[in-house]
Formats: sequence, C-alpha cells, structure tokens
Amino acid sequence: MRKIGFGTYVVIIFPIIAAIWLLYPTYRAWELEKEKEQLAQDSAALAQFEKEYGETLRELKLRRLKLGLDLRGGMYITLEVDVIRLLEESAQRDAIDEVFQEVMNKTRQEAEQSDEAVLDIFLRYFDQIARPKGRTLFSYFEFGDVRDLTEEDIIDRLEQNIEDAVDQAMEIIRQRIDKYGVSEPSIQKQGGRRIVLELPGVTNEKEVRQLLQTTARLEFHLLRQNVEIVQAFAQVDELLRQEQRAKESADTGSPRATVTAQNPIDTTGQQADTAKADTTVQSDTTNPYAGLSDEEAREAYRRDHPFTSLFVTYYIDRENNQYVPIDYVRKNFPEGEYYFEILESNIPQFEAILQRPDVMRIIGTDYMIALAAKPRAETEGSPQRVYPFYVLKAEPELTGEVIVDARATFDPTTNSPIVLMTMNADGAERWARITGANVGKRIAIVLDGRVYSAPVVQTRITGGRSQITGLASIQEARLLEIVLKAGALKAPVKIIEERVVGPSLGEDSIQRGLTASLLALAIVVVFMVVYYAFAGVIADLMLFLNLLLVLAMLAAFGGTLTLPGIAGLILTIGMAVDANILIYERAREELYKGRTIRAAIDEGFRKALSAILDSNITTFISGLILFYFGSGPIQGFAVTLMIGIVMTLFTVLVVGRSIFQILLARGVQTINLGQPKIAAAK
Amino acid sequence: MEFFRNPKIDFLGKRHFFKYVSFVLIAVGILGVAILGIPFGIDFTGGTEIALRLSKPLDIAQVRAVVAQTEFARSEIKTYGAPNQFLIRVQQTKGAGEIAAKLKEAFQKQFPDLTVTVLKADVIGPKVGKELRTDALIALILAVLAILLYVSLRFEFAFALGAVLALVHDVIIAFTWAVIAGQLGLVSLEVNQSTIAAVLTVLGFSINDTVVIFDRIRENREIHRGIPLVELMNMSINQTLSRTVNTSLTTFLVLLVLTLFGGAVLQGFAFIMLLGIVIGTYSSIYVASALTIWYIERRKGQKKVVAATAT
Repeated sequence: MRKIGFGTYVVIIFPIIAAIWLLYPTYRAWELEKEKEQLAQDSAALAQFEKEYGETLRELKLRRLKLGLDLRGGMYITLEVDVIRLLEESAQRDAIDEVFQEVMNKTRQEAEQSDEAVLDIFLRYFDQIARPKGRTLFSYFEFGDVRDLTEEDIIDRLEQNIEDAVDQAMEIIRQRIDKYGVSEPSIQKQGGRRIVLELPGVTNEKEVRQLLQTTARLEFHLLRQNVEIVQAFAQVDELLRQEQRAKESADTGSPRATVTAQNPIDTTGQQADTAKADTTVQSDTTNPYAGLSDEEAREAYRRDHPFTSLFVTYYIDRENNQYVPIDYVRKNFPEGEYYFEILESNIPQFEAILQRPDVMRIIGTDYMIALAAKPRAETEGSPQRVYPFYVLKAEPELTGEVIVDARATFDPTTNSPIVLMTMNADGAERWARITGANVGKRIAIVLDGRVYSAPVVQTRITGGRSQITGLASIQEARLLEIVLKAGALKAPVKIIEERVVGPSLGEDSIQRGLTASLLALAIVVVFMVVYYAFAGVIADLMLFLNLLLVLAMLAAFGGTLTLPGIAGLILTIGMAVDANILIYERAREELYKGRTIRAAIDEGFRKALSAILDSNITTFISGLILFYFGSGPIQGFAVTLMIGIVMTLFTVLVVGRSIFQILLARGVQTINLGQPKIAAAK
Repeated sequence: MEFFRNPKIDFLGKRHFFKYVSFVLIAVGILGVAILGIPFGIDFTGGTEIALRLSKPLDIAQVRAVVAQTEFARSEIKTYGAPNQFLIRVQQTKGAGEIAAKLKEAFQKQFPDLTVTVLKADVIGPKVGKELRTDALIALILAVLAILLYVSLRFEFAFALGAVLALVHDVIIAFTWAVIAGQLGLVSLEVNQSTIAAVLTVLGFSINDTVVIFDRIRENREIHRGIPLVELMNMSINQTLSRTVNTSLTTFLVLLVLTLFGGAVLQGFAFIMLLGIVIGTYSSIYVASALTIWYIERRKGQKKVVAATAT
C-alpha cells in the first residue's frame, strides 16, 4: 500500500478553506446590506446599525466579489481627450488668425473619419497650408520657460500636453465623482488618451454629463486659519446647541434615541477624533465634565459641541514647533495659526452644517472652507482616512489663466522633487505683488474647490517663475504639475461612448443568468452521477470546488463578475466536466483490459493528461488573446475563462487525484466508475 | 451506464460524402449571410440604442406609431427578447439617458396606464465602433494563428493544418448559420462584442475536440506501428467516441438551457456556441481528420511521383 503523505490532505483541504475565506466577505456584506435595507424606514435603527456595522461593511465591500455594471445597473462612459480643442487652447490666444483656423477646420473634418492621430493630421495640414504663408509653429505656440525651442520641442510639448490632459481630467473627475457620492466608482486610463468611467447605480445621465463637462477652476487663495475662525466655529456649536435644547424642551419626555436620530448632527461613530480632543480637556477653564467617566465625558462633549467635535483643531505652536490639539470647552483661544483635520466619514455631515444659511452667516463671506484633495498620507490606505481642511480667504488672489506652464522635476542641488511654475507677464506682475505682501504666509493652490497644496511664500517672486518645494515624492510633484496646468489648459474631454444599464435589466440578467447557470449545473451534475456513479460524485464535488475557487479568485484579484463572465463560468463547467470524462473513460478502458482499479485510475490520469493539457492550453491561448484585444465585457469573459481553466486543471488533476489516492490508500477495493457489470466479467 | 461498448464504426469511410455536406453548409451559410446581411450591433457600427420594457406587450406597429410622433421618428425598432421589450435605434448620438427619458415620456403620454422601464441606453461614437470591430477581427485572426502555432508544436504540421482548417470551417458555419437564424427571427441575435466572445469560444470547443482525437492518434501510432492511416484514425475516433459524445452532450445541454432561458442578452451568445459544439464535434472527425489524411496522402503521392520520374 502506498503511503499517503500529510501533503495530500492539505492539497484537498487548503483550497476549500481558501475559497471560503475569500468568499466570506462577499457573503457577509450581502447579509449586512440586506439587513440594512430592511431598516431603511427606521432612521434611529439605521443610525444604530451604521454605528455598529458601518465600518465593517465598508471594509467588507473592499474585499467582496464585485458585480459588473451589466448586472447591477449603472453608467459606463468612455471619455477621450479632445485633441482639436486642446490644440486651440494651447495656442496663444492673440496669435490665432484665419490661417490657423483654416488648418484647424481641415483637421477637424479629417479627424472625424480618419484613424490617424489628430496631431499628425494637424501637422500635415499645417505644412500644407500655414507654412507656404510664412507661418511656423513658433507663430502660434509658446511655452514660457525654455528660450530656444526647436519645432520638435514644440511638437513634443504638444504630445506631452495631450497626455497630461488625460491625467488632469482624471484627477478632476475623480474628485467630482467623489463629491457626487457614487459608491465604488471605477476610473481607469485606457491607452494614452482615454478614460473609462464605471459608475454603478447611477442612471441620471444628465447630471453626470454636466459633472464631466464643466471646466475646473484653478485659484490661489491665502490661508486664514486664525483665531477668528476658531471663535466662529465655537459660535456654530453654540447655535446648534441652542437649537437642540429648544427641540428637546419642545417634546419633553420623548426617548433620547429619537432625539439624536432627528438631530441633523448625529454624532455616532466619532470616537476616534473626539478621543483626541478629549486629551486636552484640561484647559484654562475648570473641566465641566469632572466626575464623569471617560465614555460619559466624551458623550457629553459631543453633545455640547455638535459641530467642532466633528473634526480636530490644532494650534500651531511656532516656538516649540508643535501642533497642540485644542478643545472648545475653553472660552479664549490663543492668537496665531491653526490647523484642522477631519475624518472622512464625518465630511458629509460637516459640509451639510456649513451649507446652512445661519451657519454661513456666522462664518462670514470673507472665509471659504476647502478640503484637501488627498487624505493625509499615513491614513491613505486605512478605512478611516483623515483629511486636512483649510480656511481660506474667499477672494482668490489670482486665478489659473496666468499660468503658462508647470513642470515637475528634481532640484539639482538637493535632489528633492520640486514643481516649476511659469506665469505670463500679467500674472508675473501680480504674483510679485501678492508674494511680496505675504512673505511667510501660506497660499493654497485650489482646483475645483479642493486644496492640492498650501506652500509657504519664502520671498517675493518676480519674473513669474516660481519653485514649489517641500513635496513628499515625485508623484506628489506630478500631481501638482497636472493641477497647475489646469490653469493653462482646461483638459478638454468629450464623451465617445456611453452605456446606461437600467437597474431592472441588471436584476433581470442576474436572475436569468443565475437560473440558467443553476439549471445547467444541475443537468451536468445529474448526468455525471448517472453515468459515472461514485466517480461522478467526486467529479461533481470537484466541480463545485472549482466554481467556488473561480469566484474566490475573482474576489481576491478585485475582478468583477459580468454577464459574459457568467457565460465564462458556464464554459468552465463544460471544460471541467470534459477533463473528468477524459480521465474516467480512460480508466474504464484500462478496467476492461483487466487491470486493478488502482492501476486503472493511475493510467486514466496519466494517459488523459496530455489531452487535457492540450485542450485547456489552446482554450487558454484564445482567452489570453481575447483579454488583450477585447474591451469591457469581453475582458470579463476572458478573465473568468482563464481563471476557470487554471482552476479546472488544479481541481481535477491535483485535488481530484488526491481524493482517489486517499480512497485507494485507505484500502477501498472498488471504486464504481459506473461501468456495466459485464465489463468485469470480460 | 454506458452508451458505447467497443464501437467499430467506419467513420472515415464516408468522408467523401461528408466533404459535400461541409461544402453545402459553408456555401449556404455564406450565401445566406450575403443575402440577409449581418445584423451588426451598435458596438461595431456606432450609434444610439435604447431598450425599453413596457408593462404589457404592444404591437410593434403601435410602438412605431408612438416613436414616429417624437423627434426620433427615423428610428429602427425591433423586439428585444420578449414581446413587451423593444430595442429602438435612434439617429441622434448625444445623451443616451435624455433620449431614453423622452421616449419613455412619449409612451406614457399615449398609454397612461403603461409603465415604461428603461432597460438600457447606449451611445457609441462611430470611431469607437470601428475600433472595436478592428480589434475583434485582430483578436480572431491572432487566436487562430496562435492555435496553429501551438498545435504545430505539439503535433506535426499535417495535423495542425487539419485542426486549424476544421476550426475555420466551424467558425464560418457556426457564425453564418447563427446569423441566418437571427435574421429569420428564430433567435434574438446581434453581432457585437459578445458575439466575438462566443465565436472565440467555438474556436476553443472545436480545437478541444480535435486535440483529444489527435492525441489518441499520436498515442496509437506508437503502439500499433505500420497500420494504415485511415484505420489508425478510425480506431482512435472510436476509442474516444464515448468521451466525445459525453462531453458534447453535456455541453450541448448546458448551452441549450442558456439559449432557452438565458434572456435577451445571453441568447444570441449561447446559440452561436450551441451551433459551434455540434459543428465542432462533427468537424473533428470529418474535417480535421479527413483533411489530415488528404494532406498526408497528397504529399505521399507527390513523393511517389517524384520517385517514379527519378527512375
């Protein structure tokens, strides 16, 4: 008898555990969402649910198997950089004349039909039409900083602009979609000039279109994070507190739970930052929460400071170079500079309060509050991301049109990443005045209402060429470059493909896809048992494991299940069954030759191997090609098919084989392959 | 259970007859498509397409009448999977959602008690359509070439040639006959990206079947040296017959279920594969094997002729 190693069992058990472990988040998220749906009517219960499971659900959603747009409904949009408009925007506005416009018109006409790159078409017509009239590229294009550009340099720059426009558009769109509140959007770059957007659950095409096509504004604002604004924040607290008290006295006797639920500034789930604020409750005034337990004190603080408990306020202590957390229990705040941070989950509530007219009156029209575009780097990967927010002077010092160029590079002396920014003459003059008056202060670079950077002005900058330093990485510098270019260039993009899948079609497809798959699976399962008896049962078990593993792999690699994906899954059923049939048929043949069951099964696996490998590899090759050349739905099919093939080979050749080995090693004398009895007699 | 016990069917003896069958299938297919045309989806042509579901079935004429009153009068209309679902292809190419909303409104004005659901609304730029079409064609050709390469590496060239020609044969027949069935209204079928995926899957099936038989031939040639090629092939086909039938049957049933119950989106897709599995099974015997015999005999014949002239 052959010895069966521990490894043989592991081979069987490990994939089962792995599949369950990888699919559990999907199941749990589904369960929680169902529960949440049932609570939809009851806001108090919903708040409770959010407090208890909100975080878990968000985390689970990241690891669950995602459904494609065709199954859940939503919008699919492909955007392309409008190279023609970009060329027009890149040209010096006052240099544009009839000759240039004629070239552009010809280019536009041809670009609609041709596959040729628009820039090439443009250059061809430029040579044909503009050059004979004495124009060169220099006549129209000027890129500030470099003095002696060649024509090739200009073409390179235009190419670069086209590429940057994609990144820029992506950045703006990402922020806007974020604000719009789509859950799990996907924004991807496709090739050099395209952006593919997938917005599950969104069907209001008009709004999204507007969102994508309004141009972004780049502005420079002075920071005003002073004591005045902190006092204003304290007043907002006071306002909300009074309102709440009025409400409480109006319906006395009502249980507390409903009061918090109706309260627009519900403060569930904010332990993290109030805990921070709590550590500084020992302040100039006597502690009003003395004698309460930590938990109660926190609760009371939150109730008394419905607005300021949403975020954390730091006082910047310049002498000790420290950020000191500040609470709002105190009545007098120190003069100086402040710094604010907010948890991502508190942002909607924070913004809702700021939009109230009475709150806006307190803050005043001189101030503007803008969130940072990116969370603080350390918190980026965590589910609880922390965003700084900035209080700015509402009136911009300068708008982005004056920027001619921006470039991310390294400082030759320190080798740290920097961004070079060039302004036109008009901008340079104003910039010198602004920087001169604000040395030592910070100026925020704001695109589309989000702060990308808030550098400190070191000196008065004349000549319009600035250098932004202190960036953490070259990636950060690149992002800033792209953002600054938005001033010079309003990334013109156009929608070239747009698909809206209604939620009912998605549901319908799931239903039908699922029913058809289950029915198909049932037929196969029954057939295998009827034809191959006990061996058929093993094949069926492997088939289930196979399907589980394919889904688990999809979830693990962040793939999405689409309708063609379901078709791929069904095909996998076919391939998996075929592999088993090949083996069993071969084993039967060996049995008929009078071999023992052990020899027959060994031979079955051995002889069927080349046929199984060859047929699966060829199918895998077509899957691979499909993946590279297909798009969207076809890729979904190809991915499922390829994973399916790998899992088929694994389950049938490794797991299935191990099961037979264990059975035989345990002294099983016969394994019913479903062959008729006469076979043995022969 | 067992369907076949030691079958000894002379498959290849009838290969000359089936040569004509294949020719007829291909000719009718190509002719049919040439006459009826290929119903390209907007994936490949570009355009705008709206699918609506009505709460109760309407006559296509009624639907036409409603659409005719809107600004989208010049639209093509057909049913979409079910009698109460319609696909409307409009000329306008801006704003799928808005067009869908306008159409919905038009229906509700005409039939106030009707609920209209927008199933999908797609706008595809003409350039994108052209690109998708090119990409699909490239994918198809590359897949065939890659398979040819792989099979030549694993088997000899004569076999690879037979396998790949069988592949082309299957793809042509499955595609053209599916298109004909679609144009005659037997299934809802539109040639789009999913169709290409289906055709590539047919490719997979077809090669799969052929490879299993060829694998057996390769094995048998080592064991039974010196028997004539036709006999060798017949023996191999017979030996793998159980497997061929079982696999084809299960896959056939799976695809049949998908064709019947898969809904508007999956139906065309599944139907092509269904045809593919039938044709693929047939062709691995009568096209792949027969062509390989033909090629090897022809080469031998030439050698004999060369030998004869040399003496």
